[in-house]
Amino acid sequence: MSAVAAKPQAGGAINPTAMGVGIVLLLILLALAWYISPGVGFMALIGIVIGGILIGFGTHFVPVGGAPAAMGQAPGIATGVAMLAAGAGLAGLFGGAWAAAAGQDLIVVVVSGGIGGGLMMAITCMMVNFVYVFGMGIPAASGKVAKDPITGDTQAEYKSQGTEGHGLPFVSFVGGVIGGILGGAGGTLIYVELLNLYQATLPAVMQITAAQVMPIAVSVAGMFAVGLFLVNAVLTAYNITGTIEGPHDPKFKRWPRSIVASAVASALCGLVAILIVVL
Amino acid sequence: MEHIVFGIGITALTGALATVAGAAEDTESNIGSQGDPNSQVQLAPQMGFLHRIFNKAVAGEPPAYGLWCALGAGLAWAFMAMQINAVLAIVLGCIIAVFVQGVYATTAYVGRTASLSKFGQPVYVDILKSMTTVTMAHAFIAIFCTVTLCYLINVALGHPFPLPLLGLIWGIALGAAGSATGNPYYGKERQYQNQKFGAGVPISASGNIVRYAEAGERNSIDNGWFTAKIGGSASGICFGLIVFLELWRTVLFEKVSAGWGAIIVGILMILIFTVIDRYIEVWARKNYGPYTVAKEADA
Repeated sequence: MSAVAAKPQAGGAINPTAMGVGIVLLLILLALAWYISPGVGFMALIGIVIGGILIGFGTHFVPVGGAPAAMGQAPGIATGVAMLAAGAGLAGLFGGAWAAAAGQDLIVVVVSGGIGGGLMMAITCMMVNFVYVFGMGIPAASGKVAKDPITGDTQAEYKSQGTEGHGLPFVSFVGGVIGGILGGAGGTLIYVELLNLYQATLPAVMQITAAQVMPIAVSVAGMFAVGLFLVNAVLTAYNITGTIEGPHDPKFKRWPRSIVASAVASALCGLVAILIVVL
Repeated sequence: MEHIVFGIGITALTGALATVAGAAEDTESNIGSQGDPNSQVQLAPQMGFLHRIFNKAVAGEPPAYGLWCALGAGLAWAFMAMQINAVLAIVLGCIIAVFVQGVYATTAYVGRTASLSKFGQPVYVDILKSMTTVTMAHAFIAIFCTVTLCYLINVALGHPFPLPLLGLIWGIALGAAGSATGNPYYGKERQYQNQKFGAGVPISASGNIVRYAEAGERNSIDNGWFTAKIGGSASGICFGLIVFLELWRTVLFEKVSAGWGAIIVGILMILIFTVIDRYIEVWARKNYGPYTVAKEADA
């Protein structure tokens, strides 16, 4: 059996003990944040954990086929999970940060970031199918389901011989857009929470005015947001083990494990981001 | 009004820069086999197919371009802080970033190819000398265009992120868009030109990449020439659309309904691309038809 044909087996199992340990770790980190900075720091960490969970969950939706997709051997987008999710999420973060600078309220900023990520994925997924269909003459076909769960299109007869499928069936396209939206929103939420924290605390720490602190706060919050995005996207990539077709893929069921991991990792990284200003 | 017209002009310019950047990025990565098809370039000697294809894939395109664009943008930003003219600062920053790319390409090719020595794959010094400079030239165009569009976004459109951070973000997005769109065309259509058109490469054919050209052995410049026609231009359109539409919806509709205007326009654009994608999918199913009869599918 080739690597492409290999089906997820033991990798998909959920380990309750590990999940329990993860949740306990998360609670300890949250308690630590509450102890150190019960007000603004703790609230920022809650936002960061929610943002990290959104990124981790959203990455499961992104249809990524890796190297086999580049040869038309498997469906999905021919690149890495973490890379594509980061590309979409950071495009969303870009839009969200812009909306935050314009002084919009939190919901508008986060939704704006989400739409930025979703738009990036919509354009990318459309262009992927464009190249498959008009550049290579290959129709889209899923290897994991007999029928597209959204459109009901049958898949098996459109799979060329000796492959697992190719291109992006409609359900994968929708999955990509949802993944981009969740990733963009999560990244933006982390950025906004950190920005608010730094704007509130940095003037006192650095003995400068609020206007002077703005560029520093934006830069540091932006860097931490990018870093936290990559942490969560890479963690999820390990959970997916390389490739996933989208929400209809059996590997998608592994998301609870990833959410716990993302929450713990985000809490730990977020705590570091908070400690640099509150200690 | 004047502000909006200025914003639209800058948006159009950044869109054009992004299109050039996307096309150059994909062509550069195809010449260097940096995308996912590198797996086949690496696999071929192990299957007994020795070749003269360049292979510098020790990092994916998004992190590599994130590094180079952040480096170019950071250096340009530092030069500007030294009161050097912005155009000159961007060019100088990108030149230094491209030298880093050149070092990366050289060490990556030598390292990856040397690891195949047990399969008899030689490290060709002439390939190293001729391909590295070509990838550097394409990388310069991609990095320069990306850093310039980041500079315009920062200075002319007033995005709050500093230039190096914008370079990192748009560098990663550039690599993601370029590898997603361009890789299948290079991997399936060029590396496996000997396989049937209009079908995926059978898994059993893995590693049997095309190694000969019209005259002599095929090299990576031939691959860049081939993929620039569709893979490169499609990647350019992809990245150009991403940058242009993201800026366009913000510049024009940010002020409408306290930010909801830009969101609604974004949702509408997502829906439009969804309809286009579905049309393409249905068009392919109707015009190309199934490979096998549907009865087999039910079984």
